Amino acid sequence: MLFGGIDVGSLTAQAVIIQNGSIVASSSIKVKPNPLDSARTVLFTVLEQSGLEKGDLDFTVSTGYGREQVQKEGLSQANVSEISAHGKGAHWLLPSVRTVIDIGGQDAKVIRVSDTGDLDDFVMNDKCAAGTGRFLEVMARTLGVGLEELGPLSFQARNPIELSTRCSIYCETEVLHYLQRGAEKADIAASVNRTMAERVMALVRRVGVGKEVTMTGGVAKNVAVRKELERLLGMRMVEYSVDSQIVGALGAALVAREMGGGR
Amino acid sequence: MIALGVDVGSLFCKAVLLRGQEMASSGIRETTGNVAREISGFVDEVLASAGVSRSDLSILVSTGTGADLVEGAEFDEDDVACVAMATRHLLPEVGLAVDIGGQSISTVLSDPQGEVLDFMRNDKCASGSGRYLEVMSAALGVPVDRIDETVRKSRKKVSISSQCGVFAESEIVSHVNEGEEVPDILAGLCDSVASMVISQVMRFGGDEDYTVTGGVARIAGVTDMMAERLRGAYHPFPIDPMLGAAYGAALIGLLELEE
Repeated sequence: MLFGGIDVGSLTAQAVIIQNGSIVASSSIKVKPNPLDSARTVLFTVLEQSGLEKGDLDFTVSTGYGREQVQKEGLSQANVSEISAHGKGAHWLLPSVRTVIDIGGQDAKVIRVSDTGDLDDFVMNDKCAAGTGRFLEVMARTLGVGLEELGPLSFQARNPIELSTRCSIYCETEVLHYLQRGAEKADIAASVNRTMAERVMALVRRVGVGKEVTMTGGVAKNVAVRKELERLLGMRMVEYSVDSQIVGALGAALVAREMGGGR
Repeated sequence: MIALGVDVGSLFCKAVLLRGQEMASSGIRETTGNVAREISGFVDEVLASAGVSRSDLSILVSTGTGADLVEGAEFDEDDVACVAMATRHLLPEVGLAVDIGGQSISTVLSDPQGEVLDFMRNDKCASGSGRYLEVMSAALGVPVDRIDETVRKSRKKVSISSQCGVFAESEIVSHVNEGEEVPDILAGLCDSVASMVISQVMRFGGDEDYTVTGGVARIAGVTDMMAERLRGAYHPFPIDPMLGAAYGAALIGLLELEE
């Protein structure tokens, strides 16, 4: 049996197809202005990739922005919250993980999962850009570097500066001042990544740290944020072999498998 | 006695020169690159426009986030104290001043002598600050000094649900893309700024008569909404509200000389 999961985020959208307990195809695209278009495009991309048609999927579940609309449109048969989806996806990849830190483009969540992969507790920040992917995006734009360069750039820092504020808008002004004074981009990037990790850690503290921790979502790809976060956690985070951005869609596909009566 | 008050904010540098109780000259200058050098030239200009030289000055008092960058200051004074002093001097009956600056929002309660009784400040989050308005008006392509005339053309208010400036900026852009009119979005934005400010003022009950200082006080779209929702009466600041703290700094300088 074939099961599909669709996850529409603020910046990217993903789809995953699973069969017999393994991922047969996954895809990630940049979002379209409308979440329905994103869902449709990413679903048909992943179907095409695997030589399948929509009718071949036994059950599909949507998550993320517009997950209900996506279901109404018939692209999925059910929908699930991003929090449950990330918990499920991470638990399937790493059964012993109890804390999942999911940092997306526009929000940050810390999820505690039980030994069965169910949701125990969570905290979420979607009110303030500090501690979300948007903060890094704004900072990368201000520094004039690509988002994916921001992490590696940190490691070239020799005299990291200290950002005095957490607010993304004030940080932008502060970074501009540093650039005008001739500060090195690497030194600023190091501080940006550290500030980011500190905000995430503040959220983690509110639900507590389980015995094993992992990170999902786009920000998990930033090596410097990971490293700073590990320093603050006092432990290494568990890694896995799939793209950190597909974990939500994977979780949705796993829910589809449960609902669709498959294994 | 001649006193100069210099207020170095995050976005603008302001100065007020008092000759006795009389405002002899004043100035406002955007701060950009080399702030220390800019301030020095700016101070000279404000002095020159009143025909005063540095040696004529009885006292110079600095305030604001960049107060320590002002050369020749006798001392620096907290901007909250300056705003309180200026308010009680210019509006003796008003005990509450709401200062909305480039990177902070402060509400200051003072006694009739202009001494601070209590205050609240938010300088951690840009929401509602002058910088916030700058970012939003840039996203809409309307200069800050033309916000009011643009809002007057509005027919409705498009409500802004995000509080965070970064998220609000995206929200504004999507409202534009959805075909909403710029004046209507700006009207909604002024409402949203007023709400953020009001939530701080309400910690003091909202019954006190108040005035508003700082750059955002110039925007009627914001102060009108505040006046509509706060029970205390709004007393417009009698001079350019951006000069509030600088004026207070000069007053405190004069008091210092009297003692």
